[in-house]
Amino acid sequence: MHLPEFNYYEPHSLDEAVECLNEGQRGAVVAGGTDLVVALKQRLQKPGFLLSLDKIPSLKGIKSSNEFLSLGAMTTLEEIIKSSLIKERFPALSKAAREVGSPLLRNIATIGGNICLNSRCRFYNQSAFWRSANDLCYKAGGITCHVTKRKNYCASTFCADIPPVLLAYGAVVKLVGPQGERTIMLKDFYTGEGRFPNEIMAGSREILTEVTIPFPPAELKSTYYKFRLRDSIDFPLIGVAVAFEADEKGRCKGIRLVFTGVGSGPFEFRHAGEMLSGSELKEELVAQVAERAAGEIHPLKTDLISPRYKREVAKVIIKEAIMEAGGGR
Amino acid sequence: MKEYKIVGKGLPRVDGPAKATGKAGYTVDVHLPGMLYGKILRSPYPHARIISIDTGEAEKLPGVKGIVTGKELHNVRYAFVDTPRYPADEQPLAVDRVRYIGDEVAVVAAESEAIAEKAVELIKVEYEILPPVFKAEEAMKEGAPLIHDEQLEGTSSWEQWGVAQKKKSGEAKSGANNISGHSRVSYGDVEQGFKEADYIREDVFDLKATAHCPMEPHAAVANFDAVSGTLHVWLSTQGIFLKRFFLSKTLKIPTAKIRVHHTYVGGAFGGKIDLFPYEYCAAYLAMKIKRPVKIELDREEVFMTTRQRHPMTITVKTGLKKDGAILAQDIRVIADNGGYRGSGPVVVFLCHGFSYPIYNIPNYRYEGFSVYTNNPIRGPQRGHGAPQIRFSLDSHIDLIARDLGLDPVEMMLKNVRVQGDVLPNGDVLNSCGLSECIEGAARAIGWKEKRRQFSTAEGDGRYRRGVGISVCSMFSGAMYYPFASSAVVKLHDDGSATLFTGAQDIGQGSYTTLSQVLAEELGICLEDVHVVAGDTDLCPIDLGSFLSGTALVTGSAVKMAAADARRQVLEGAAELLGVDDINELDTREKKIFARKEPERYVTFQQAIQTGVLRKGNPVIGIGYYKGYDKTDRYPSLAKGKGLFTGAYGFAAQAAEVEVDTWTGKVRLVKAVTFHDCGYPLNKTIVEGQIHGCASMGAGQALSEEIYLQKGQLFNPSFLTYRLPISTDTPESVEGIVASLEPSGPFGAKEVGEGSVAGILGAIANAVHDATGVRIKSLPITPDKLLPALLEVLV
Amino acid sequence: MMMKKNIHLEINGEIKDLTVDVNRTLLEVLREDLNLTGTKKGCNQGECGACTVLLDGKPVSSCSLLAVKADGKSIFTVEGLAPEGQLHPIQQTFNEKGAIQCGFCTPGMILVTKQLLDSNPSPDEQEIKEAISGNICRCTGYVQIIDAIKALSDVTKK
Repeated sequence: MHLPEFNYYEPHSLDEAVECLNEGQRGAVVAGGTDLVVALKQRLQKPGFLLSLDKIPSLKGIKSSNEFLSLGAMTTLEEIIKSSLIKERFPALSKAAREVGSPLLRNIATIGGNICLNSRCRFYNQSAFWRSANDLCYKAGGITCHVTKRKNYCASTFCADIPPVLLAYGAVVKLVGPQGERTIMLKDFYTGEGRFPNEIMAGSREILTEVTIPFPPAELKSTYYKFRLRDSIDFPLIGVAVAFEADEKGRCKGIRLVFTGVGSGPFEFRHAGEMLSGSELKEELVAQVAERAAGEIHPLKTDLISPRYKREVAKVIIKEAIMEAGGGR
Repeated sequence: MKEYKIVGKGLPRVDGPAKATGKAGYTVDVHLPGMLYGKILRSPYPHARIISIDTGEAEKLPGVKGIVTGKELHNVRYAFVDTPRYPADEQPLAVDRVRYIGDEVAVVAAESEAIAEKAVELIKVEYEILPPVFKAEEAMKEGAPLIHDEQLEGTSSWEQWGVAQKKKSGEAKSGANNISGHSRVSYGDVEQGFKEADYIREDVFDLKATAHCPMEPHAAVANFDAVSGTLHVWLSTQGIFLKRFFLSKTLKIPTAKIRVHHTYVGGAFGGKIDLFPYEYCAAYLAMKIKRPVKIELDREEVFMTTRQRHPMTITVKTGLKKDGAILAQDIRVIADNGGYRGSGPVVVFLCHGFSYPIYNIPNYRYEGFSVYTNNPIRGPQRGHGAPQIRFSLDSHIDLIARDLGLDPVEMMLKNVRVQGDVLPNGDVLNSCGLSECIEGAARAIGWKEKRRQFSTAEGDGRYRRGVGISVCSMFSGAMYYPFASSAVVKLHDDGSATLFTGAQDIGQGSYTTLSQVLAEELGICLEDVHVVAGDTDLCPIDLGSFLSGTALVTGSAVKMAAADARRQVLEGAAELLGVDDINELDTREKKIFARKEPERYVTFQQAIQTGVLRKGNPVIGIGYYKGYDKTDRYPSLAKGKGLFTGAYGFAAQAAEVEVDTWTGKVRLVKAVTFHDCGYPLNKTIVEGQIHGCASMGAGQALSEEIYLQKGQLFNPSFLTYRLPISTDTPESVEGIVASLEPSGPFGAKEVGEGSVAGILGAIANAVHDATGVRIKSLPITPDKLLPALLEVLV
Repeated sequence: MMMKKNIHLEINGEIKDLTVDVNRTLLEVLREDLNLTGTKKGCNQGECGACTVLLDGKPVSSCSLLAVKADGKSIFTVEGLAPEGQLHPIQQTFNEKGAIQCGFCTPGMILVTKQLLDSNPSPDEQEIKEAISGNICRCTGYVQIIDAIKALSDVTKK
């Protein structure tokens, strides 16, 4: 399928870009475009124009201050992988970036694009022809979700690899739009709704320009576990980011567990802290955390793998991830 | 093994440089001036009646040059199987009914592909939805919706070849109970065999449809020369003469007025044999509009409409003596062939064909049904029935061995056929290295050391390893149109040669292996051979590159043509050397010399020039070979009677797997294939075929599955149809068993298909060995295996 | 009318100024406008790697890259690897080791290999597998491709 028709704007500054957003038609911002180009070919989106961020220098690159690391939205995943600073101080980010898609994709795909990645479903991510066999699903502009049969509801699954890691690190994102600039916690960027999983898709007419992460204390250990059937190309069936902080005796001071692939947005399991706080990471205890966390995720059959299976695997990777982050193995 | 100068060596492919530089032209690369682009409108419904089609809006779109619907083509019928019993049931565009999602409804030709795509969207079709049926077992029941209740009469595609006999009276009408094909074979006395058995076991196996996934999407370019009345086509195909035949039949123009031009073929695996609607439509539109037309399918269309492997349910019951000797076997196969017959009757015959060359079973009964459903059409795919039947039979053998406390390897060795065996249909195993294959594979996988079954429970850890083994067999060509292969070797006055062959190099390396056969036989170097192939005007007829006949059948024709050319060169040389008997001469590196006095020689150049100057003979060698010299036409698909093939290739495959018992993920650690290919014409190419087969089989064992729900294909992409990627590559060991097939060129026979089949059972058996869990359905995905593991391992 | 844009590229060392419809992919422009048909369309969705080109030295899927996004960049296709009539050592070794069968994935595989060896002259087996993990080959089962790259890496080590 060829691409549909659209106008293409390539502003040289953020101000210019924001002006483009003010146009009457609805447009789509394109960063690397690896996901968008496919979505356009499948007619999942029909924007009047594409707004490319390629020529805006301020959106590129990795900057660091004493306290923060900032990544321009147009930083490619490959640049993240190559960064020794990130590898050293944000190993989970480095690992997650390394496991996105395939190497070909990572040379183009950006962190901004991954943060804004649309959620996915076996009924939605199909060609226009394919979807014409059924009524349009809610996400595609119809009424009923084909996975759950619910009306005005979308079960599509968020399966970006980078956001759970950023959330575990407590990242904030900068959004720029006609109303000006705002910086919000990344968790507030996500709506948790399948149809419009983030603020921008929900219609905020903004551009995500930057993500900023505070440098964690040296004691914070982090990792990302991605479970997929093939070690490249595939999206995660489920992924979990762990950020773990121990006291001087190796006991848990704080922990964050954030998932992808289990619902319509990134999901944070909030009880890990209370269950582990003050304790050493004993395998049995961690298994309990894994069991409870797995009990709180509710994956739906939005891909070809059974939800029951995902929950079983969740237990395994949660345990693995915590043990690894905690230096348990 | 005899050492030759050229054959047997792992020489680089002759088409390698063209492919490595990107210069090789595939059908998708063909561009003609003034070319239009076609796009097909397809049915989004699995079963529906077409009430009306409105092309008005689409026709108005600027750039649209023609739209055709089924009404215009209602007389055109064709099919892979077209016999009195099984009349052709396909049409290029649906006339009044669609039978699967993807069924062709209309075609548009336009100035660009983008315009054609838009036009397709503007065509309005009104459908009346009909009740569909998606499960073969349900489709066979009384009262199920009939998918082909139309009156199909026909004689046969091959009627002018004298193949067709009229349908015998009293024969069941094809399509009743949605049965599209039936095969029933028996010999010995099965019931008596079971009575005498010490032990009987029955198992049911289930296999999903899989996709070929050639990397080059299907495409066709057609151009009609109205002055000469010649249709020129460029097709991504495995058999140029078969396609020409089908196009001639359907377009009603003489075969000589159709020219298939050479293109490289970007993979096929059985999926580029049938005539497809896009090919017919490209040709029809080119003739109608008088401009070249190209139709290239997108990847989704390739997945959905260019055939899939038949999903099957296979029941096997076996009776044995305590010592593991098989007394009786009863096999029942039900294959779902989708909305059209495809290769249904063939595959249910072939499941028998690939079952019985392996084990010597005195009492045997086989019955297979292919069944219409409203799923995508199924057709030949590498091994064509072998993966399904071998997986079932060797999973079953492994289970029996466990029950009886026998070693499966020993049990296989006890029952397998050996050289000289005559199969019940009369096929003779003039070469059979099956036992060597099994012994070699068992040794290479470390069977004795690694097998867990009888060792005490060790390794309760997360990761468990096990090994398994299975065997397989494949024809080396069979009788199918055009029933024989031929070759022409033309010598040039510098002593080099051009080989004219109709065999297609679909990646399996036939240009190279055939060139090696030529060079060896003639006594020139590989660099001196130039290949002209893939062109129906230039090349003599060929069976085509399927049924694994190229090495043996076409190879024999090439060898004969080279021998013919050599004889002529020797005659010229004999005169120059003053030798009376050409048998006293030999050739090497474009030189002809006396055997007894090798220092006395003349060059090919001198000999050829002499021939031209004295007699005007420029030296053209001709060779031909029939699939099987003891039979004509094809065997009875329904009764399994008649000779099947001249030689069977054999293989044994072993797998070592590592099962992650926490996630159910299976990693293929090591894949071993010992293949009896008769003789490896090119060692590197034979190894490549083995690795490719093993990888495809491993994918189908562990992750590949056409995922259908109500006839709709949920994974028509490489992202969701999980074929193996580089990181899935196991340690791969291959062994070549050279049994030297007497009828094959230098002893060569099949290698490119059989070993896709054995690895399936090997993996399933290895999973069982590792975990104690038996999975009887493929693929063995983690979400299938984990629940089973959770039940067993606490 | 479809919006057009002028783009300035370096393709296989040659400077090109083109005017392209903004909704065309780099793959379409390479194949249809520049006749660089060595770059193949396998899936058109960025999932198979047959359309791999090097963009500023890095392998990318040209089917999911808008041509306008390549403006100002250098593009390297299989046609740029060796002078007409010659083979680059990677091409040579691929053929010798049996890494080429149907040939449709070959241009992409070769370009990925080039970038791998340019950045890491002696990759181990795992690194090789990872580097080509976005390029699907249905014919070879990857065994001989991996062998070929290993052989090339050994050459570089010497």
